[in-house]
Amino acid sequence: MARKTIFIDFSKCIECRACEVACEREHNGMSFINVFEWQEMAAMALNCRHCEKAPCVEVCPTNALYRDDDGAVILAPQKCIGCLMCGIVCPFGIPELDLINKIMGKCDLCAHRRKEGKEPACVATCPTDALIYGDFDEIQRERREKFTEKAIEVAKKAEKISLLGV
Amino acid sequence: MAEKLIPVVCPYCGVGCRLYIRAVDGYPVNIEYAEDLEGISNENGKLCPKGNAVLEYILAKDRLKKPLKAKEQGKFVEISWSEAIKEVAERLKAYAKDDPNQLMFFGSARTFNEPNYLIQKLARMLGTNNVDHCARLCHAPTVSGLKQVFGAGAMTNTYKDIEEADVIFIIGHNYAETHPVGFRYVLKAKERGAKVIVADPRFTRTAWFADIFLQHYPGTDIALINGLIHVIIKEKLYDAKFVRERCVGFDEVVKAVEKFTPEYVEKITGVPAELIVEAARTFATAGKGVITWAMGLTQHTHGHDNVRLLGTLSAICGYQGREGCGCAPMRGQNNVQGACDMAALPNVFPGYQAVTDPEKRKFFEEFWGVELSGEVGLTVIEAAHAIDKGKVKAYYVMGENPVISDANANHVIKALQKLEFMVVQDIVPTPTLEFADIVLPAAALLENEGSLTNTERRVQWSFAAVKPPGEARPDWWILSEVGKAVGFDRDGSKGFRYNEAADVLREINACTPQYRGITPERLKANLAGIHWPCPSEDHPGTRVLYKERFLTPDGKAHLAAVDYRGPVELPDEEYPFILTTMRYVGHYHTITMTGRSEALVKRWPEPLAEIHPDDAAKLGIKTGDWIKIETRRGVYAIKARVTRAVKKGVIAVPWHWGANVLTNDALDPVAKIPETKACACRVTKISEKEACEIMKKLPNPIPQIEIVKG
Repeated sequence: MARKTIFIDFSKCIECRACEVACEREHNGMSFINVFEWQEMAAMALNCRHCEKAPCVEVCPTNALYRDDDGAVILAPQKCIGCLMCGIVCPFGIPELDLINKIMGKCDLCAHRRKEGKEPACVATCPTDALIYGDFDEIQRERREKFTEKAIEVAKKAEKISLLGV
Repeated sequence: MAEKLIPVVCPYCGVGCRLYIRAVDGYPVNIEYAEDLEGISNENGKLCPKGNAVLEYILAKDRLKKPLKAKEQGKFVEISWSEAIKEVAERLKAYAKDDPNQLMFFGSARTFNEPNYLIQKLARMLGTNNVDHCARLCHAPTVSGLKQVFGAGAMTNTYKDIEEADVIFIIGHNYAETHPVGFRYVLKAKERGAKVIVADPRFTRTAWFADIFLQHYPGTDIALINGLIHVIIKEKLYDAKFVRERCVGFDEVVKAVEKFTPEYVEKITGVPAELIVEAARTFATAGKGVITWAMGLTQHTHGHDNVRLLGTLSAICGYQGREGCGCAPMRGQNNVQGACDMAALPNVFPGYQAVTDPEKRKFFEEFWGVELSGEVGLTVIEAAHAIDKGKVKAYYVMGENPVISDANANHVIKALQKLEFMVVQDIVPTPTLEFADIVLPAAALLENEGSLTNTERRVQWSFAAVKPPGEARPDWWILSEVGKAVGFDRDGSKGFRYNEAADVLREINACTPQYRGITPERLKANLAGIHWPCPSEDHPGTRVLYKERFLTPDGKAHLAAVDYRGPVELPDEEYPFILTTMRYVGHYHTITMTGRSEALVKRWPEPLAEIHPDDAAKLGIKTGDWIKIETRRGVYAIKARVTRAVKKGVIAVPWHWGANVLTNDALDPVAKIPETKACACRVTKISEKEACEIMKKLPNPIPQIEIVKG
């Protein structure tokens, strides 16, 4: 099964935080993606990685966390008891406690939008395409292809220069 | 109870993004990205944070719902629409009878073309050319400067050309932060291999992506651009054929830039000489180049000359009249271009037809059926000074906020207090509204329909998606009612009888050559819009201007030879720092809209003044400390952020929260834009208590007005 999730090309992030505002709008005022600035030089958005071997799913005592058909790690709110275990084991500290309902909240890859065949809101809105929704293998392949293309271009240029006898 | 998707144009910046509003019976539920629309300016329906939060300000609790009349400053009683219109019309008539030049009208770059057309028509039919809008404070030099060089003041190309360029020179413009969706095209070009050159006094988020970054001191743009031209001419990198065939004045340019050697320019601007040489070579040899700029370049007393020099730089490299080339001034608000086209300006009729030209005036005299004034009117800042002299007595302000947006705001406040009569037509209370005598509640952009012109001359139709609150009415309706009540109630173009916004656009088609073929029917059918000039209904619109000839009388580009002038006010012993202003990606203009959006305020809660670590160490300032900034015009309290983003000796302050109490209102002699971007200041560390004292005396950007009974 091809698993799709959100990847970030942080070389393109301009820290506009459109993803945060979009997520917040789609999820009743809670944003599950956060943008961080590094040393005033670059920024990157961090959201749930929907890990292959997700510690949050494994540790959840009530099985409130599960994987849906697209491979996204989803929280079933009626089962959550707000024990915070998932938040503690997550290496990125992603699941957050919803202070009003006392249950956890996390990125669901916009399940309601995926149902309609749309991309998650943060990806749909990202002005610079820094966020990509896709299959990891495909994204890797595309990046390799792009890199190879560039390498070939450079090689051709070098050839031309050597032909000119420079 | 069907849910509908209504296509609208984003009410924020000049990119003019399309989006859908999901609404049930006029009540907004959510937004949806316009991913299915081809050829729109925001590819795939992309939106920035402001675009994502558009519904929040519309649903603000303090929206104006009924016409108001002032009892005293800041205290209002509710009145009916008929009373309000009657009073406004009678007062306007009385002033016009006495001397029409006592009146001043403000158009708005935040509303549609139609109301802007109507407000200037009202002003001119009343007998005055005193009509202006906030483009004066952002892109007036672009309009005047480009007009002198190329013959017209608009962007010469489109976003597509930015994407296709091989080199992009961004000067005085934090593109990534002010127009995130537009910046997409820069990154796409860069991915293709284009080089990006950024010139800015601050190391901005745009500069993160620069191949060459030139960090010059605020206000030294002329030296920097002259330096680039010097290298290009000296190394013979210019397009000699283009210069010979399509430009005039090249010899003067050669003479004028002679002394601007990279070493000399380094002394003035602080940019290393070798970087200037590298930037000049990269720019001139790329093959296809775009120059883009915004307020960092224009808001100077030499803004007009800055723009002329950029036009010259572009022309000598042959970067005009081709795809992938051009000059791209980026407009701040979604209808700056449209408001200028509609002539909410004191010197022209719609379509940039000079009021001083007897032939054009005769056309409009026949068209509107009244006698018109041939005298150029007052600009925004001039009007504030004219009040002091008793020349202007009444303001009609539509969707403007001079108390926060004008340079030297303290003076503006004093002036507004002296006014005899002020009408404010707006959607929410603003600090300016506190001085109003009559308040007319307007419908917001998404509650209203009409045409908007984005920064790349693209005219788009936005549909009404949401019901206006209470008795708020569309701007065109209010103005047409006022017009009729003043006495202009004839049919057709000679009066103000309109049934819908489209009627007004048809009248615009008839009198504005550039808009002749841009009919309401075409716009409603084609959501991606049409680029003006579009001279007839079967014309597809124009992507690249000046393919064969420029619009100057002789058809050639008039190159500019300009000598260096710095800012009017330079740092001295008393005021040792240079102050410049900036903006945040999450806020817009005077935060009347973004300040009412929880999602945006949460992320960008307060202004922070940027200061270099060395300066901060000298003054004992750490990030988060309160500081007091003083200039010859005012005092402002703000928290500090110590950062290497600014040069030593420079302080950068976001202006959204009212930092204009500090800035200089010295004017550019041609464009009449105040020098908001550079002035001398002094900085001291203060306590929080002291800061509160200072803030109390400043206008509150989001005021609460009192509505009393009776």
